[in-house]
Amino acid sequence: MISSIVFINHKGEILIYRVYKDDITRSETTQFCAKIVATKENKECPIINIDGTSFIHITIKDIVVLATTKVNVNVAMTLQFLYQLVKVCRAYFGGEFDENCIKKHFVLIYEILDEVMDYGVPQIADADLLKKYIQEGGLKPELMNDVEKLKQLTSQATGATSWRPPNLVYRKNEVYLDVIESVNVLMSVKGTILKADVAGSIQVKCLLSGMPECKFGMNDKLLMQREPRKPGQTTTDKGITIDDLKFHQCVKLPKFDKERAITFIPPDGQFELMTYRITENINLPFKIMPVYNELGKNKLEIRVKIKSIFEKNLFATNLAIKIPVPKNTANVSTNSAIGKAKHEPDQQGVIWRIKKYPGDFEALLRCEIDLGQTTNQQPWIKPPISMEFQVPMFTASGLRVRFLRIYEKAGYKPTKWIRYITKAGEYLHRL
Amino acid sequence: MAYFGNNPQRGELQELYADLNDLNFEKKKEAVKKVIAYMTVGKDVSELFQSVIKCLEFNDIEMKKLIYLYIVNYSRQKPDDAIMVIQNFRKDVRKSENPLVRALAIRTFGCLRVPKLNEYLIEPLKDCIQDDDPYVRKTAVLCVPKVFEVSPDICPALLEQLQKLLEKESNALVLANLIQSMREIEVVSGKQLINLNQKIIQKLLLAVDECIEWGQIFILDYLATHNPQDSKQAEIIIERTLPRLSHINPTVTFCAVKVILKYLDFLDNGELVKNLCKKVAPSLISLLSWNQPEVQYTILRNISLILQKFPILFENEVKVFFCSFNEPYYIKYEKLDIMVRICDSKNFGQVLNELLIYLNEADPHFVRKTIKSIGKIAITYDKALEKAVSILVEFAKNVQQPTEPVQELLMQMQLIYKKSKQMYKYDESLKIIYSIVDYANEPESKSACAWILGEFGEYIPKSVEKMKEYIDNFQMEDRLVQLQLLTSAVQLYLKYPSQCATIIQQLITSAKDSFNPDVRDRTYIYWRLLSTDPEVVKNLVCFNSGVVSNFSKDLRLWETQDLVLALENMGSISNLFHKLPHQLYKNIKIKINNQHDVKIYKGEEKPDTQPQPQAQNQQDGSNQNNKKDQQQQQDIDLLSFDEPPSNININNNNNNKTDVFELI
Repeated sequence: MISSIVFINHKGEILIYRVYKDDITRSETTQFCAKIVATKENKECPIINIDGTSFIHITIKDIVVLATTKVNVNVAMTLQFLYQLVKVCRAYFGGEFDENCIKKHFVLIYEILDEVMDYGVPQIADADLLKKYIQEGGLKPELMNDVEKLKQLTSQATGATSWRPPNLVYRKNEVYLDVIESVNVLMSVKGTILKADVAGSIQVKCLLSGMPECKFGMNDKLLMQREPRKPGQTTTDKGITIDDLKFHQCVKLPKFDKERAITFIPPDGQFELMTYRITENINLPFKIMPVYNELGKNKLEIRVKIKSIFEKNLFATNLAIKIPVPKNTANVSTNSAIGKAKHEPDQQGVIWRIKKYPGDFEALLRCEIDLGQTTNQQPWIKPPISMEFQVPMFTASGLRVRFLRIYEKAGYKPTKWIRYITKAGEYLHRL
Repeated sequence: MAYFGNNPQRGELQELYADLNDLNFEKKKEAVKKVIAYMTVGKDVSELFQSVIKCLEFNDIEMKKLIYLYIVNYSRQKPDDAIMVIQNFRKDVRKSENPLVRALAIRTFGCLRVPKLNEYLIEPLKDCIQDDDPYVRKTAVLCVPKVFEVSPDICPALLEQLQKLLEKESNALVLANLIQSMREIEVVSGKQLINLNQKIIQKLLLAVDECIEWGQIFILDYLATHNPQDSKQAEIIIERTLPRLSHINPTVTFCAVKVILKYLDFLDNGELVKNLCKKVAPSLISLLSWNQPEVQYTILRNISLILQKFPILFENEVKVFFCSFNEPYYIKYEKLDIMVRICDSKNFGQVLNELLIYLNEADPHFVRKTIKSIGKIAITYDKALEKAVSILVEFAKNVQQPTEPVQELLMQMQLIYKKSKQMYKYDESLKIIYSIVDYANEPESKSACAWILGEFGEYIPKSVEKMKEYIDNFQMEDRLVQLQLLTSAVQLYLKYPSQCATIIQQLITSAKDSFNPDVRDRTYIYWRLLSTDPEVVKNLVCFNSGVVSNFSKDLRLWETQDLVLALENMGSISNLFHKLPHQLYKNIKIKINNQHDVKIYKGEEKPDTQPQPQAQNQQDGSNQNNKKDQQQQQDIDLLSFDEPPSNININNNNNNKTDVFELI
């Protein structure tokens, strides 16, 4: 499988070097560092073959995390493993992952590398689980000598519910649900929608005692069609069509496949229960209507009208509309009734920011752009207008959580909280 | 503590030596850390071997791990010293009550990789494979291939033990590692080790549900290499794999897709196949928008394979492959490539509209590839010709510099005119394209310009003067351009015999002594022919009008008979390079595909005049061998300039041409 894992800084210096199989020499890796990392040549492509050695890598900020191999490995898995490795490191370093951290904690990283991979084969790489038996400065001697505890630990690690330790106790049992939707949309110059989808995620913070079994339900059309109608109840809500769902490892997938029921024993604390993708009947929260005019050789005018398409009692927050301007822009004068618009040269655009924006409302921005002299004869390549926003208590897909039932043998009644928010993903309008 | 010091000087090693032998525990530990730091930056600290291993006396697990790391790194350089640690390992494996310590010892023990030390390892390893603790077992199982690689002759008993374990093991994680380790041994030894029967398949399928994500991948990857006995078994495996499509790890999903697609071939029930395709498609599409671009890239590189065998999966889904403005270019290139492959006689309009936008991108390579893609679509689909030409002409209007895309534009226009000569009239394309010929600076694009000049001489004002300009620089040109100039000049001569008489003479004079035999030969052939029978020349060099069918390039990437094997290896490095494993790795045996008919899964067939490239694909097992030849033939057609002779009708009067040649 994988021959070695290497961390490299942007200069091409090796920070961490762990070999799993000795079919690779250090000089092959340094060759990669010198040829690819330091020269930044072809670095973008995640897999590079040099003389029969494959270099599979990802780049996190300035750090290149590399796996080398000489056999026909599963590349997707290798990349996924590298990402997971970075995630584990971050969990240990309080979210950080940079050269300083790596140098400071190199002993710990070697310990982690020893555990997450054996003979080039990925092993247990769950940060919460690893923290139970790998700690900076070594484990407490009490644990090392407590054979019972150790047995419990290894059986959790190798068992079917490795993500949840037994015997958790909370005085107050609570569950927080966050439904977060990112809307991706691409509109053509004329305003027709070329591509629109919602990438949703349900985040759960779980503070529950014992081994609770949870059942979770949404207004999923396929699920609601299966449910028997209650007599006397006429629902107008037919549910929504979900293109695809992906679940956290705790969700019992065979059960979902058969009954479309989402059941799970949750991990402790924060986790992402599921992600989903929806392409049908999306309520786009904003419409963008740009007009582009060339007023002579050195003057441009861009007018952008935006319209919010959601209920009046809701508000969008933190709007930022980025209107691209040419590189040789000398001066921009803006005019709008709401928010603040400013030319930001480092962003090569006018950023129009609005703190709070009501539903069903229109606003207009007019930008007059004076262009400076330029020697560059190339016509300006107009990037699309992009938009950022958040709309709390709104889902672009129309998704609603219908229930979250929790069964635990202690029979407690947990408190449940839920929030919805829709954000802009790639919200683009070609100019 | 200095992490990245420079070369450990002699003095520094002395200092470390002293610290390692210090009585103070903390000092020792710091020294060990320093040693590891030196090792990381690639400095040789093997001299300290004995002092380092002495530190193993302390029961400190952090230090133990560091020392083990050191030993693994230098054991092969110092096999005699390494023997001294054997006792330590054996003690840990046998006596320690702590499963973590037992596992750590056996794991490290296996990594020593010194043949004579491995003998000491066999007994403890056997114990560990039978350990009560699954954590130790999963580690021990992976230790076997380590030993096998170095000393296969002492392993038979261990292999037997693994086979027995496969029968009785119930822990999912251990099973997953077991499968992976047995596969590794199979690769090294070239012998089959896993005897897959109904019972074991059941077990593995059960383990997939309970195992960590990596384990799921190992098992699914393995199942994809297996051929089921019958339709029933295939159905069971597919049914049990389906739930994995909803796993959050994209690789698990992708492996599940692989297993399902592989087993589809073995199903009898056509309706079931259709339903399964409907289930697989959305999962696969979700993977394409996965937020890690590297993972997205690996999936994209496998799409052409899926597209070729399962066109049904991406029916009406071309939008999925549209590029976003902010995507990295390596993703955009892949998407562009797929868009051309997925393009058909129904959706070409949509694709061309999208490609039109990419012509505004900043990266010249990308724009070039876009132009090439537009050209490919135009040549493959007759109906797309007009739209493609108007896009390219519009682009040509804004050309001001000899950029890379311009070169491609000229080359693609040449191909389009070759396919359908009538296109020169469309949108005044000839006039606009001819206006940019001076921006040609690559041999291919220059030769395209020369071709256009010869072919359309009668429609281009002052074409003879332009030809003279080219011929004046004849000696400076690339061989490719020279060859084309010869043909084009003769073409022009046939059209304007009197005006071209002098330049043809000039050309022949300068070309007949060329150092390049091809150029020389072609010159003599034309010369002889022109002086004997000009009608023959006409048939040779002039091109008919009307649409040339069968001009399309084969857009299929894989040989049809390779599809099954490629599918088994979906996600692997070889597939990423669009190769079969044995083509990339010399030590992998060629696996021969026993299935004669490769099934292709298409959507509903609608009557369509334009044959799709994939459509020819079905059930053509018999003429497999011809396919390669045909493809080569087509490639040659696209490159060569001598088109098939046809009924040429040139209106110019060529009666008085022979006397010119008598003068030469």
